[in-house]
This record gives sequence, structure tokens and C-alpha cells, in this order.
Amino acid sequence: MLYALVGVGALGCAVAAVTSKRMLISAIWLALASALVALDMYLLGAPFIAVIELSVGAGLVTVLFVFAINLTGDEALPVANSVFKWLALTLILACSGITAYLVFPRSLLSPSNPETLPLLTIFWDLRRLDTWLQAFLIFAGALTVLGLFRSASHESAKKEE
Amino acid sequence: MNYPDGIIVALTILGLVGIGIYAIIVSRNLIKIVVGMQIMVKGVLLAFVLAGRVSGNIGLGQSLALTVIVVDTIVAVVALALTVQVHKRFGSLDPQALTTLRR
Amino acid sequence: MPNWLLLLPIGVPWLGCIGVWMVGDRRPKFQHSLAVFFSVLSAGAGLMLIPYSTQRLTLMLPLGGVFDDFRLATDGLGVFLAVVATVIGSLAVIFSVDYMHGEHSLGRYYAFVLFFIGSMVGLVLTTSLLWMFVFWELTALCSYALIAFHNDDPKAVRGGIKALIMTQFGGLGLLFGALLLYTYTGSYEINSFLSNPGVLPASVLNWMAFGFLIAAAAKSAQFPFQTWLPDAMEAPTPISALIHAATMVNAGVYLLARFYPAFEAVPGWKLAVMIVGMLSALLAALMALVAFDLKRVLAYSTVSQLGFMVYAVGAGGVFASQFHLMSHSVFKALLFLGAGAVIHALGTRDMREMGGLGKRMPFTRTVFILGALALAGLPIFNGFWSKELILEIGLGHGNPSWIAALMILSAGLTAAYTLRMVILVFYGQARRDHHVHDAGNAMKTALFPLAVGSLSTWLLLGPFYQALKTSLPFHKFEFDETWLHMAESVHSTIGMTLEVGLEVLRQPFTYIVLLVVILGGVSWLGRKRLSVLIATFKGVEQAAQSAFGFDAINDAIVKSVQKTGEALRVTQTGYLAWNVLAVLLGWLVVLILTLLGRIG
Repeated sequence: MLYALVGVGALGCAVAAVTSKRMLISAIWLALASALVALDMYLLGAPFIAVIELSVGAGLVTVLFVFAINLTGDEALPVANSVFKWLALTLILACSGITAYLVFPRSLLSPSNPETLPLLTIFWDLRRLDTWLQAFLIFAGALTVLGLFRSASHESAKKEE
Repeated sequence: MNYPDGIIVALTILGLVGIGIYAIIVSRNLIKIVVGMQIMVKGVLLAFVLAGRVSGNIGLGQSLALTVIVVDTIVAVVALALTVQVHKRFGSLDPQALTTLRR
Repeated sequence: MPNWLLLLPIGVPWLGCIGVWMVGDRRPKFQHSLAVFFSVLSAGAGLMLIPYSTQRLTLMLPLGGVFDDFRLATDGLGVFLAVVATVIGSLAVIFSVDYMHGEHSLGRYYAFVLFFIGSMVGLVLTTSLLWMFVFWELTALCSYALIAFHNDDPKAVRGGIKALIMTQFGGLGLLFGALLLYTYTGSYEINSFLSNPGVLPASVLNWMAFGFLIAAAAKSAQFPFQTWLPDAMEAPTPISALIHAATMVNAGVYLLARFYPAFEAVPGWKLAVMIVGMLSALLAALMALVAFDLKRVLAYSTVSQLGFMVYAVGAGGVFASQFHLMSHSVFKALLFLGAGAVIHALGTRDMREMGGLGKRMPFTRTVFILGALALAGLPIFNGFWSKELILEIGLGHGNPSWIAALMILSAGLTAAYTLRMVILVFYGQARRDHHVHDAGNAMKTALFPLAVGSLSTWLLLGPFYQALKTSLPFHKFEFDETWLHMAESVHSTIGMTLEVGLEVLRQPFTYIVLLVVILGGVSWLGRKRLSVLIATFKGVEQAAQSAFGFDAINDAIVKSVQKTGEALRVTQTGYLAWNVLAVLLGWLVVLILTLLGRIG
């Protein structure tokens, strides 16, 4: 029952995020959806990821969106034409339907005695390359953003001359 | 967790991914597109956690989900930085205004 | 602790790459000195590995999961090529100090040269087939970046892209073989494959063998892929010396030599390798005889000599081919760097505008002649000994003798075009008035050791043979029966070299080949007398000048690919929404196919 509530809540917030006209409201709905998804993950038995998703999705990403919206203004733009929307909707429904049909007959029951390695072993032994690549990726992302904004400041400095 | 709960979570996942893709296709605002991508990734994260739970290897599911969170956050950061630059250069956030690569 | 030595010849040049890049183009003198420093340091690191060439030093960095672990190991073959790459690399960098004096974008140049040196060493030291592929592609990338270094010159860019595409195509053959190995055995380890090639079913082994042959032929500019090397001569000459004469093009021969024990039993493989080598040697020698661009002659000469090496591998002479590789790296690098000195002084590559330079560039003339004599295969020079061994192999062991006869003809042609090149450049009347100066000091420093090497590297035959014999357990070397008793009876390995040398001199076959070589040279000198003979071969000359039709094939392929690309351009609308919709459509197609597969 709880799963159904959380699931419907998350979907509702997502729909609200997509259809709202103002970007800031969109970002708030996204944060709410993140929180509900984090709750869902906690219910499924993954508390570690739930906490991370809560702080990153509902915290960090929302702050990023607020920054970006402030820097670019908060205008509402025209909507796409309806033929396009219906085309997209049909395709998505078709894909979801077929995926659901392919996935559901499988057993979605969890085994009675899950044997799992401790989380630390998984991070540092089994998925070691992943962890190193993530660190590298964070550095690369930071450098990219620095580079993007540095060229902007050079240009504005040149314009002032 | 029993069988119907699993189906409910799977439906949630499909719903989130579908809404995310719809947002990416239909939006006329670059920031909305990034919002759509974030929604899609929430669905994917749930899928990883569900798969981990169902197969019994919840640790591996969490580790893969962490990788996805990191990657997706970096992508959102860089995408938003690019959006700001696009706004500076083109004056508009409409993806249909970005036409310099077309003939 | 000594295991970390293995990382040095790869890590030091890569560190230098980052260092020179970060110094920036505003301080060219510092860039020059830093590049020389790092390349000499890496040469030292490479030389430090020599004592380990007979023992096996291994290093493994586990990377967990699907991607293979990073594995390095030393053996005679790998250490030899690593030393060649780092030492000749450092000499080319020293030469570049003079050659690239005053050029812009030095950071990019030196960074890519150092990156290349590290990648080449990685290619030969690794024992994992997947990592060998990675390093293979890294060297192709550096080669492209350096050929197209003058990126405002459309010819250079075209040459670079041609080289890149052809060698990448070859790389596909290597990747294909690597994946086949992994699918059937679950590991990428080369040595376990070599010890038991039967672990793959026979048809798979066939595919792998010919896939590797294609990869090696594309990388070493062998028939039918030989057209990229002459066009790659747009690169600065030290790059031509390093990459396109001494190291990267040897990667193909290295691949064939390394995997010889696995593929020698595949029916038709040895014959195919011999024919590829023979065709390359013969056709390239003919093309060198009629070319007028100095670097093109040297490029064709490289293709021809690589043809000799490939032929040797096919004939069963792995040792002879590697020994010729050693000699060729030294004298071809010498010839290219000497040509670089001439080109730098004159500003032109066309031999018809040169002539009479011998008086004004005495040092360059001397070293160039030394390299040319080694290339032609005259006694005392290292080229003579290695070429003799190759041709000897061709006659024995049940190899077809018509191919051997054609190889001897190619040796004669080699002498002819070498003599032509030397005479056109350094002797005769000066065709143009040039104010030329001899090679600068940095150039002399690079040329001198190579000249000494051309005279002396053949002395390393004994130690080299011992190193290969003890460290490559799966290779059967062709001279084992005759040389084993020699190795046991003499005390030092240098002594073995002298014994082998005397043995070669005792064979009558040696003198037949020497006769053909001298005949080749003499026929060039007396070409006016032979003009009747030459007229009958006029058709061959015209075909040779247009590269036997391969350039036309190349152009046709390029044009058809371009047309297809233009036709398909309609699908790229440039609107984000349509592109994502297309992705979704693709996913729907995949889902429907899965559904059909499930129901059906």
C-alpha cells in the first residue's frame, strides 16, 4: 500500500514538474519527486543510496537549477505543436507497454536469503574501476564548467575594452 | 516485499522514464529538457535498486546506482552551464533556435 | 621493486608529454630542452630493461571486471623494440631541435611525439591482446596528429586522414582477433594462447590469422595498403624518421612475429604472408626507381624493406626478420634524418632541383652514403648481414623458389634506386643555385650515433639471438640446428656473432646475391647503354609512377563514401526533438524484435 502511495506521488510530482509554466516551480516539483523516490528506495532496502539521492537530487540539483534559472531569466516559452505531442505520447505508450509485457511475467519476488558482500568490498574491489572513473569524471566536470565560464569572462572583459 | 509491490514499483519506473522522455521531446525550454532528463534518471535509479533487491545483491545494485547518480549530476551541471552560455550567445532558450550546425 | 621499472619507459615520455604541453608555446627554448630531457630519460629507461630481456619481469595492475587487467612483461622481442623506440625517439627529438627551430605550436608537436614513444613501448611490452589493441590505436592517433601537424596545409591533412583511416581499418582486424580469443578462451593473455593455439577451433583460428595479417599489412603499409605511407611524407622529417621508418610501421611486423607460433600451422597463411611481402618489396622498389620526391623514394624504400621482413616471417625466419628490423630501423632513420638535413637546408623535396650538394654538405653526404650502403646491402654494413639471412631462409625449408628469385631481384633493384638517389642529390652538377649550409649541431648529434650504428649493430647478432631464444619459449627459430652447436662451443656471444658471420661468408649463395646487388648498381650507372632494355619496360615505368593503379582505387573509394554520406545527410535534421524521437523509434523497433523473438 505504501509503495502505491509513494509511486503515485512521485509520478504526480513528475507530471507537475513537466507541465508547469514557470521554471522555478518546475524545479521545486522535481525536488519533491526526488524526495519521494528516495523514500521508495529506502522502502526497498537500500538506505545508503536513499540518503545520497535525497541530498543530491533534492538538494544539490535543485540549487543548480535555481542558479541556472536566475542567470537566464524565468520566461515561459511557447508550447510545441499538438501533432508532435501526440506522436511522442503514442510512441512512449507503445514502448512502455511492450517493456511491461516483456518484464512482468518474470518473478519479482525477492529471495529469502540474500547473500551479499559488504558494501565496502563491492565499491573498492568489484567495482574499483567504476569508483576511480567517477572521481576522474567529477574533476573533468569541474574543469569543464570552469572552462566554459572562463571564456565567457574573457569575452566580457574584451567587450569592456 | 511481495509480488504486487514489485509490480507497483516497476510501473512507477516505467512511468517516470516515460514522463522524462516525453519532457525531453516536447519541451521548448532547455532547462525543462534537463528537468526531463533528471526525472528519467530517477526512474533508472529505482530500476537498479529494484533489480538489486530482486536478485538478492542489493550491494551491487547500490554501487551501480551511485555511479549513475554521479554521472547524471555531472551531466546536469555541464548541461546547465552550457544552457547559460547558450542564453548569453543566442539570447533564447529555445532548442529550435540552435540552428548553426544545420545547412 | 624492479617491477616498477616496466612502467618507466611508458610513464616517463607520457609525463614529458604533459610537461611540454603545459609549458606553453611562449617559451620555445624551454620546450625544446624539456622535450630532449624527457626523451633522453626515456631512452635510459628503455636501455635499463636490457638486462631483463632474458628473464621475465612482469607487472600487473588489476582493473577488475570486463576490461582486461593491465599487464606488462619483458622478453627479448619486446625489450628490443622498446629500446629501438626510445633510443631512436630521443635521437629524432634531438634532431627536431634544429629542424623545428622557429616553428609554432611546438607544444603540440613535442607532446604528441612523447606520447607516441610511450604508446609504442606499451604496445610491445604488453601481454594482453586487448591492451595491445588500445596502444595500437594510440600510436595511430599520434601518427595522424603528427602527419597533419601543419594543419593549414590541405595536403598534409589529407595525408594524415588517409593514414588514420587505413591503419584504423587494420586495427579492426586486430580487435576482431582479440574478441575471438576472449570469446573462446575467456582471457586476453597472449602467452597462454601461444602455448596452446589448439584451444581455438580451426575455422576460428583461420579467421584470426588472416585478420591479423590484414591488420599487420595495413599498419606496415604492405600490399594492398601501401598507398598511405608515401602520402604520409607530408609530416616533418623527424616524424617520418621515427614513426614511419623505425617504429610504428614495425608494429605490423612485430605482430606477425609475435603470433607466428600460433598461425604457422594455418593452411595457406605462410604462403599468403610471403606473397604479401614479396609483392610489397617488388612493387615498392619499382616505384622508388621512378619517383622524384626524395622522401617518397625513402617511403617506398621503407615499404620494400618491410616487405623483406614480412616475407622472412612467412618463410619461417622470425629471427632473420627481427634482425633486419634492427638494421633497418637504424639505417632508415639515418637516411630520413639525413634527407631532413638536406630538405631543411634547401626548402624543397624534389630531387630534380638538387645535385652537387656533396661539396657543400660534406658531413651529411658522408652519413647519407653510409646509410645508403647499408640499405643496398654491401658487406660490413648491418644491412648486408640481415638481408643475407633473409634470402638464405627463403631458399631453404621448402619455400617456393620463384618467390625467392623475385626477392633477389628486389635486392638488386634496391641497390639501383639507392645509387640513383645518392647521385641525384649529392653528385653531379648543381641544378639550382642554392646557398646551403651543412647540418646544424643538433642534427649532427643525432646523425652521428646512427651512422656508427649502421656499421656496428650487426655485432649484436649473438646476444640478440640468445635473448630471443631464452625468452620466447614458443618460437622455433630457423637457425637452431646450425647455430646451436656454435652457441655451445664458443664462450662469449660476440664470439658467436663472428662465427655466424664467417659461416655466412663461406656460403656461395652470399656471393650470388652480392653479384646481383652490384649488378643493380652498375646497371643504373650504365643506364644509357641499357636504354633499349629500359624502353621495353616503359609500360612498367608508367604504371609505377601511378602507383600501379592503387591511387585510383583509393580515390574511387573516397568518392563513393562521400556520396553516400551526402545522400544520408537528410536524416540529420538538426532539431533536438526529432533526434530524440528517432532514438525512441529505434528503441521501439528493438523492443518489437525482442517480442517477436520471444513469441516465435
